Amino acid sequence: MQPDTDSKIETVARKNLARVLESDIAADDLDLDVDMVGVYGLTSLNKVLFLMSACDDAGVSLASFTEPDVAEMTTLRDVTKALTRHAGEVA
Amino acid sequence: MTEPSVINHIVAGPPAAGHRISFFRLGGIETLELTELYERAGRLALSLRELGIARGERIGILAANCLEWMLLDLAALRLGAVTVGFDPAKFATADPALLDRYRLQLLFTDRPDDARPDSPRVRALGDVVRMAAEQASGRVPPPVVYTPDDVTSLKLTSGSTGEPKTLTAGVGSIDSDLLAVQEMFAHGPDDNLFVFLPLSVLQQRYWMYSALRFGHDVTISTYEAAFPALRQIRPTVVMGVPGFFETAKKHIEAQAGGPASGSDDEARAAARRLFGDRIRYLWTGSAPASAGTLKFFDSVGLPIFEGYGLNETCIVAKNHPGAHRVGSVGRVLPGKQVLLDAEGVIHVRSDHPVCRGYEQAPPGVSGYVFGADGIVRTNDIGHFDEDGFLYIRGRADDVIVQDNGRKIVVRPIEEHMRTSPAIEECVVFCLKQTHLVAVVSPAGDTVGPEEEKAITEQLARTNAAFGAEEQIREVVVARGRFTVENGLLTSQLKPRRGRILDTYRSAVNDTQGSVHAA
Repeated sequence: MQPDTDSKIETVARKNLARVLESDIAADDLDLDVDMVGVYGLTSLNKVLFLMSACDDAGVSLASFTEPDVAEMTTLRDVTKALTRHAGEVA
Repeated sequence: MTEPSVINHIVAGPPAAGHRISFFRLGGIETLELTELYERAGRLALSLRELGIARGERIGILAANCLEWMLLDLAALRLGAVTVGFDPAKFATADPALLDRYRLQLLFTDRPDDARPDSPRVRALGDVVRMAAEQASGRVPPPVVYTPDDVTSLKLTSGSTGEPKTLTAGVGSIDSDLLAVQEMFAHGPDDNLFVFLPLSVLQQRYWMYSALRFGHDVTISTYEAAFPALRQIRPTVVMGVPGFFETAKKHIEAQAGGPASGSDDEARAAARRLFGDRIRYLWTGSAPASAGTLKFFDSVGLPIFEGYGLNETCIVAKNHPGAHRVGSVGRVLPGKQVLLDAEGVIHVRSDHPVCRGYEQAPPGVSGYVFGADGIVRTNDIGHFDEDGFLYIRGRADDVIVQDNGRKIVVRPIEEHMRTSPAIEECVVFCLKQTHLVAVVSPAGDTVGPEEEKAITEQLARTNAAFGAEEQIREVVVARGRFTVENGLLTSQLKPRRGRILDTYRSAVNDTQGSVHAA
């Protein structure tokens, strides 16, 4: 994957996580490596909404992921890596 | 009730052809005709009978929503056996002790490590499909005919502490609910009802029974997969709870540019993107929905109907397209009667009661809730308007009797506080006689000066809206949101008042000023 694609996906993931958190944390200030549930209070419904929106914006099919896949995404970096793996596939 | 039993109808013969049941999970969907579901459930029933399951015996199921869950439930119905559903969010493991505690013959679980050779009565859920496939096609179990007092399910109530209470659910009560719902909502061949709450809750299984009896599609998903499922399957009806719809509302507003800036057209378009383009109505119950949430969905073209009921009563009242008044929980269903005592506490009489008492409960509880005549004391406080619509004002437990003898119903105060975008939940306590203290769960993950200002402003608005004895003197801002995960919300997303007080007791007792962090 090209670095500019990685960067675009990270931007998309940050923007959509910030949106569901409804907090004052700017997208750029989100820590890629903290537990999104424990630190940011992300609920299970909002986690999927976040992933849905991020998939839409990144052109990745949500069908690429199973529930165990989503359960394993505990940090924002996990999400960006997962999206990056599937970017470029037909959404 | 003069109409034929729904339950007897769906066990007596195959459903009409042409309707489907789908099971959605992230990464896949499985769809089959209801006729095939019926046929496979019949074969599974034969296998269960070979394992010794007879009429009246109990089968436990501890699993996420899936095809096997519904096959087992329907097979149990075909045998006259009793389904005992365990919510995976509350029961971490299929402990063999559950077998004795709930008098189960078998316990099926989707936890692979729990089905062990040393506990042959604890079986892997994955066995179910194989068990059905092993039976020769065309064989069916002997027909079962139910009377209204026969039992199909054991319900576990979500007590906030200790072991859950249990109660049996009679066929007459299920029939009466399903017939009343069909009368109100006329589910038909173009409908696809969407279910994502745990199938361990009997009412969630109603919608499969409805599909089998009245001929419509039904889709079942896991809780986590609910939103992705919606836009893929495009249901006509969503069976939800207020917490789910509030999450959806926030998402739609954000997609439309924010609560204040989005236009109605943008919000409508965002709502259709999330819920699909075929929604006929949204069903909400189990907890009070906020006025803001109800108004929002109506404004984006998604009618939402609130109702009222308890495990002990099933559905008591329901708004519906033919009789809807926002703020009420609708009119009382046929076959049910609401009696208000001198304190305004709702008592429910049913032509076909769910049961006559708890099977398991702490001493004295059953006698307190269930009258000798089968009337259920709900502990909710309500009133009727002149047109027969029922309004719920709060719990009798929520009534605070102050030193001056004045009774304060705290729910309207809590709901008023929650109208602030900065406040997600609010629970009011009164530990010092006349001194009301609110514990609020912030809407965001951080609480800075701006959020504190918003909460302070809301406190002023709420106090201005209520009487002198109803003034909140202090607000404790919780350390983060109340969630199911931290134990401060039930799985139905209701605040756990007792646990919230236990968590913030010292802050509630600590007089520091009008708004302070815990």
